[in-house]
Amino acid sequence: MSKRMDTGNAACALAVKAANVDFIAAYPITPQTTISEKLADYAAAGELSGVYLPVESEHSVMSAVAAASAAGSRTFTATSSQGLLYMHEILHFAAGGRLPVVMVNVNRAVCAPWCLYADHQDSVSQRDTGWLQFHCASHQEIYDTVFLAYKVAEKVRIPAMINYDGFLLSHSMLPFDTLDQETINRFLPPYRPDWKLHPQWGGTFGNVAAAAEYSAYRNTLAEDTLKAADVIEEEARAYKDLTGRWHGGMIDVQGPQDSDVFLMSMGSMSAEMSLVAEALQAQGIKAANLKVRVYRPFPGAALRQALPQNAKLLVFDRNLAYGHEGGALLMEARSVFYDSGKAVKIAGASVGIGGVDLPAAMLTEKALALLEGLK
Amino acid sequence: MLELRIHGRGGQGVVTMAELLAKAAVKTGLEAQTLPFFGVERRGAAVKACVRFDQTPIRIRSMSYHPQVIALMNGNLLSYARIDGIDPDTYFVVNAKEPLDLQADQWILDAEAVAIENNLVFGGEPFINVPMLGGIAKVLNIPLAAVEETIRGHWSGKKADVNLAAARQAYEQIKKYEGGCRQ
Repeated sequence: MSKRMDTGNAACALAVKAANVDFIAAYPITPQTTISEKLADYAAAGELSGVYLPVESEHSVMSAVAAASAAGSRTFTATSSQGLLYMHEILHFAAGGRLPVVMVNVNRAVCAPWCLYADHQDSVSQRDTGWLQFHCASHQEIYDTVFLAYKVAEKVRIPAMINYDGFLLSHSMLPFDTLDQETINRFLPPYRPDWKLHPQWGGTFGNVAAAAEYSAYRNTLAEDTLKAADVIEEEARAYKDLTGRWHGGMIDVQGPQDSDVFLMSMGSMSAEMSLVAEALQAQGIKAANLKVRVYRPFPGAALRQALPQNAKLLVFDRNLAYGHEGGALLMEARSVFYDSGKAVKIAGASVGIGGVDLPAAMLTEKALALLEGLK
Repeated sequence: MLELRIHGRGGQGVVTMAELLAKAAVKTGLEAQTLPFFGVERRGAAVKACVRFDQTPIRIRSMSYHPQVIALMNGNLLSYARIDGIDPDTYFVVNAKEPLDLQADQWILDAEAVAIENNLVFGGEPFINVPMLGGIAKVLNIPLAAVEETIRGHWSGKKADVNLAAARQAYEQIKKYEGGCRQ
C-alpha cells in the first residue's frame, strides 16, 4: 500500500492497471480523456498486461469490448457524456449478452447546448440498458470501486458502469492509498469465464430468439440485476475485511442511524452533503447523510431498512427527469416507500445541472427550504 | 482548513502549479485538494483553481468563495477575484512589480523577471507558474525542501534544474506589503 496524491482519473487508471485487464478499447472525450491517455502510456511502457486498442468512435469502443468480453477477456473502457450516448445500442447488447464489461463514465452534462461540466444526465439516461451503475464520491472510492465492479460484474455476469463527476473528481487532486498487487489478486483473481467464444469450438452468440426464449432470457436479466444488490453488499464487506476500506454497500448512512432527516444524493455531492448534515445538526436537527453508492440496481431494500418510521427523506438529484416533477432519485425513492409500511415523508430537488456549483452552504439552505415544505 | 484560490489564464500552467503546491503540502503530512476550473478551455481565457489544506480528509467538492488567500497570476485578474468573492481579511499573492491598489495584505513577486532570469521563456512568453509556486509556498509556510522534492518528482535533468532555481529565487524574493497599497 502506498499513499498517492493525484487526480481521480489517475486513481482510476492505476486501479485498471492493477486489475489484470486483458483488453482495453478507447476513444477520447473530455473529461474522461486522461484515463485513456494514462492507460496508453502504461501500454507503451509495457506496464499493462493486456491489449490497448484505439478505435474510431465510442460505438466501436463498446462493440470491441463486448466482443473481447465474449471471447473471454476482462475488458475496460472509459467515456463521458456524448460518448456514452453514442454507445447506447451496444450497452443493451453487452447487458443482454451477459458480458461483464467494466466501464468508467466520467459524468458530464449532455448536448445541447454543449457543456463540459458534471451532471448525471448521461448515466441516468442509460438506466434501462441493464447495466449495474456505481457512483463515487472520492478518489479512494474510485480506486476501490474498480476492483469491486469487476468482482461483482463477473460474478453476476452483468456489465458495470462506474460513475464519478467530471472535473470535480476527474481533474481534482486528492490523496488516496493504493493496494499491493498480492492483496488485489486475492480479492480479484484473473478472469476465468465459464464460457467463451473460441474459433476451435462451434456455436453462435447473439442469434435470433423466439418470443418465449427472448422473454425468458430478458426476464432472467431483470431478476439477476435485482439479485446483484446482495452480491454488491457481500463483496463490499469482503473488500472491507481484506483492506479495511468501506464506502458503503448499496448505500452508506453517515451520522445517527435514528435520525429524523436523511439527505440523499449520489456522486461528489454526497461528500459535500456530509457537511450539510453537520450544519443541520448544529441547528438542532437530527440529520444523517445518505450516500447512494449504487444506482442500478436501485437500493430499495437498503433504503427501506435504513430509514426509521416517520423519517424525512430529502433527495438531491443531479439530473432532470423530463416530464416528471423531480429527478430520477426522487421518483424512485417515492416508489420504494409507497406501500412499504413505513411512513416516510419525501421531498427533493434537482440541483447542480451542467456543473452548477454545489457548496454546502447552498445545499443547507435548500435542505431547510425542503424541510419547511414538508411541515 | 486553509483555502487558496488562484486566478490565471489558460496556458499559464495554473493547474500544474496548484497540483505541485498540493503535492508539496502532502509531503509535509497535510491533507490537500486541488479543484481546477478550466472555464471555456481556451488559451488566454480566465481560469482558476482552488487548493485546500487541512489536518483531516477534505470533503468539500465545490469551489472556494471565502479563501484566506488569493493568488493572481497577473494584477488584471483582480476583477475575476472580486466576482468569486473576497473576504475582508483575505490576503493576496500577486505577480506584479508593485503592490496593487487594494486595501489588503499583499505579497508581491515579479514572477516574470524570475522566469526570464532563469530561462523559463517559451515561445517568447515568460513561464511564471514555478516562480509563483515558490512565492506562494513561502507565503503558506510550506518548506522549500518539500517544494524542491516535488519539482524533482515532476521534472528531471536540466528542466528540473531551471525550475528548482526559479522556485528558490522566488521563495527568497517575494515581499510582503501589510495593509494594502503603497506603503
